[in-house]
Amino acid sequence: MYQYPRFNLFVLALFLMMTLTGCPGPATEETGEEADSETKEVLLEPFDAPKLADLDAQVEWEDQPVLDSLELLRERQSQEKPQVTVEEALKLKNTDQEMNEKILSALGRLPENDEQVDWGATINRHVGADLKSTNPIMGSSAVEFEVSSLTGFGLFSFDWNFKPFAVSDTVVSWQSSKDKLYDKVVLRDDLTWSDGTPITAHDIVFTFKTIMNPAVPVPAVRSGTDQIRWIQAYDDQTLVFFHKESLPTNVWNLNFPIIPKHIYEKELESDPTLQDSPYHVKFENDPVTGGPYQFEKRERGQEILLKRRESWYMQDGKQVRTRPYFERVRLRIIEDPNTALLALKNGKIDEMALNPELWKTQTEDDDFYKICTKANGLEWVYFYFGWNCETLFFQDKEVRQAMSYAFNHKEMLDELCYGLYQPCTGIFHETAWMSPDPMSKPYQQNLAKAEKLLDEAGWIDHDGDGIRDKEFDGKVIPFRFSIMTSSQPLSLSICTLLKENLAQIGIICEVKPTEFTVMQDKARNHQFQAMFGGWGTGTDPDTSINLWKTEAARNYVNYSNPEVDKLFEEGRREFDKEKRAKIYGKIHELLYDDQPYTWLYFRNSFYGFNKDLRGYVFSPRGPYGYGPGFSSLWKPVEN
Amino acid sequence: MQEESDNKSTVSAELKTVKKSPSFWVETWQRFKRRKMAMMALVYIGFLCFVAIFAPAIAGTKPIICKYKGHIYFPALGYFRRQWENPIFYKDRFRNRYPENLKQKDPDSWAIWPLVYQDPYRRVYDDEWKGQPGNPTQDNGAPSLRNWFGTDQRGVDVFAQMVHGTTIALLVGFVSMGIAGVIGILVGALAGFYGKWIDMVLSRMIEVVMCIPTLILILAIIAIIDSPTIWHMMAIIGLTGWTGIARLARAEFMRLRESDFVLAARTTGVGQFRIIFRYILPNSLAPVLVPITFGIAAAILIESGLSFLGFGAPPPNPSWGTLLNLGRQNLQMWWLIFFPGMAIFLAVLAYNLIGEGLQEASDPRLRDA
Repeated sequence: MYQYPRFNLFVLALFLMMTLTGCPGPATEETGEEADSETKEVLLEPFDAPKLADLDAQVEWEDQPVLDSLELLRERQSQEKPQVTVEEALKLKNTDQEMNEKILSALGRLPENDEQVDWGATINRHVGADLKSTNPIMGSSAVEFEVSSLTGFGLFSFDWNFKPFAVSDTVVSWQSSKDKLYDKVVLRDDLTWSDGTPITAHDIVFTFKTIMNPAVPVPAVRSGTDQIRWIQAYDDQTLVFFHKESLPTNVWNLNFPIIPKHIYEKELESDPTLQDSPYHVKFENDPVTGGPYQFEKRERGQEILLKRRESWYMQDGKQVRTRPYFERVRLRIIEDPNTALLALKNGKIDEMALNPELWKTQTEDDDFYKICTKANGLEWVYFYFGWNCETLFFQDKEVRQAMSYAFNHKEMLDELCYGLYQPCTGIFHETAWMSPDPMSKPYQQNLAKAEKLLDEAGWIDHDGDGIRDKEFDGKVIPFRFSIMTSSQPLSLSICTLLKENLAQIGIICEVKPTEFTVMQDKARNHQFQAMFGGWGTGTDPDTSINLWKTEAARNYVNYSNPEVDKLFEEGRREFDKEKRAKIYGKIHELLYDDQPYTWLYFRNSFYGFNKDLRGYVFSPRGPYGYGPGFSSLWKPVEN
Repeated sequence: MQEESDNKSTVSAELKTVKKSPSFWVETWQRFKRRKMAMMALVYIGFLCFVAIFAPAIAGTKPIICKYKGHIYFPALGYFRRQWENPIFYKDRFRNRYPENLKQKDPDSWAIWPLVYQDPYRRVYDDEWKGQPGNPTQDNGAPSLRNWFGTDQRGVDVFAQMVHGTTIALLVGFVSMGIAGVIGILVGALAGFYGKWIDMVLSRMIEVVMCIPTLILILAIIAIIDSPTIWHMMAIIGLTGWTGIARLARAEFMRLRESDFVLAARTTGVGQFRIIFRYILPNSLAPVLVPITFGIAAAILIESGLSFLGFGAPPPNPSWGTLLNLGRQNLQMWWLIFFPGMAIFLAVLAYNLIGEGLQEASDPRLRDA
């Protein structure tokens, strides 16, 4: 419903992405570095907020959009005509992109009127792991954000083009100062928690302070939120966000999950974990929530059952907000994808993410199409070989380019990836607004060129043993390195293909399957020569500063280019979108030229749906990770 | 009568040379030979050894022998060790594609090729071999005339992988049980021969080692070692699997150290080590060989199990267990399960049959059963 889960974060899609295909949207997220460091430090300095009247006099406010994401989608779909009727679409088999578009154009639509909708329907969703905490600010994994996006509410969201807006369900007005240093938000006065207490601006301030309280072990949501200097509630409805710096990216920090002040302020001092004391355990098991759904039942390791909350959309017998389409949302926890697929075929679950092998080999027959259909959409999740630029092997640009030329991209895309993925050439997708023009060309295998580049870089087989080598300070180093990867079958076969290709030109590459946490640790400490990994997309190109700026936290490959550093700084300070696009396009080109990664492919999102389900629309963050996302799904009444 | 015949035999013995009574091993072998199943198993293991040694000549993409620019080379040896493949082929930019490059770069060259032109490590591409199309990938690789046992998802020939995987399967058994045998016999011999506190200490040590779960230890070690190989695995299986051998050896030594021939040797002043290794050991070997053969079977199973779980040797390793693991991802590709599954089953069965045959042939109580 609301995408507060950290859209400012550059989501770590890394290695685990493939195992987590059951969890759409933000897969694994690294905990913010701040959360790891000592809790003693003060995260939030006291702030003397100016009076609202003074602020109004001093600041030039600009109105910002307050929208209903469902309306937004409805508007978009009113201009798109379905290519086939629903009946026809249900008979189609999704064999190619043309079919996929037909299916999506007919089944991925909102209902034309309320009579079509089965308001008493239950949707059974598939999740790959259980919830760790029902407290939304304690969330750190995809499932938790998925659940809290249903049970919680947000002030802000963004659409499929990553355009941010305030949510009309919760917000009356939103204004930003011209320099983006302040944001003023007026809340609606008809919001209540599930226990009937009104939701006020003080809840938001309290949550902000709790997240920034060093004694509270917040695993993930602190990063981003810590970029806000202060939030002041001037009355029950009016809030002003104070930012640290005047940046166009400030808007992405505004959203965070919100917890009820009247529940948590009581024992915050005595039990800052928010989880240990009997009082907190009580609310962990039966949380007070503010969103469209509330917890009905929770069986650990089995399922999470959510129920539509009447008081969300009805007030004094009057409908004040959009009524959520499903009466109940059941999240079934099934770890093994093959088991999940069986459940989908039996109608035990209504939707699940498929991996390419399942998509291509086990969802083709009539057995699958009996009660299911499937659809896919482009997702901006790319996979790459990362070359550690500080190692002797990969410090030269020529060598890294040679690696990209040596790899058989065509074999990978057509055979190993079942021809389902698009080639990736750099950090941005060609349909993104910040991609360069002209777009960089995908690398093609060219062994002769790779050999030439290696010869030029001085990697020649001097000692005649069939392995290239180079002398460093009088020591001859043979070109023998290892590439670390997850043990996922696809990652292994891609790395094995690289090994085979490099062996052809006299380089020994050892494939090293590494366990996820070990790999993460080694990557962070730059203890590797090469690695295979993947990244999801943030909502703003500025989020990739984390990957490329010299010594940035996730600059695993030790890349350093002063020009890129400078451009990133310029990009986050530029307010003109076209100029920003140029800046990020330039960064893309510079990175493409330097090849600190060999970019491999974009991993699309693939989903299987029950034929009863309607309204799925894919975005570059999958079918759920944006607004409206999940809330556009519905089930029709049976005729 | 009795006396007479005795006299007769003495006479005949004096006339001819005394016919030496058959040694224990010869007798065991005679009895072993009579067991059909055990013999078949032995022949099968012999066949596997043959396959393992000649794997590069059976399936590969490198010529067994070739003449290139006036010299004779054996590029197929590169499958055993990379260094054994002459670097000239790298220097001349063959890029691991022999058939085409040999002809192109030296029209006078000739080569003897492996029986099957397929590689255990990579897919064979279009037109690598005289108009032969590339291997099918994904789930299209059902067994065919070109790929006898089909291909896996990457398009790598299953037959070639199994032929080369034989080496791993046999090596794992021999090396790990070789290590286990040496340790087990040594520990058992010392404990059994000396007894007293030495026996006490060594027996407790055996009990401690017995408590170590091999599989978990291997998983732990693999996590620690920077680049684990199949040799590490063999070493661990060997270093933990010797306890049964040691116990049997200890019992045998305890029994034999009291026997007459040992007493005789002692009284004539034979050294202790000579008594242990020359007098007792050969006589105690038979019961020890049985757990070794069973151990080989178990080691093969452990290796396959580890590869199946994805903790085996790093890829691309053409192990039978790895193939099974690939088959697990898509059950419709039955050939990835059937062929390696059968290979593991038969190898383990063969070793068990040999062990059983050996046990019955060497045990005097079962002698004429």
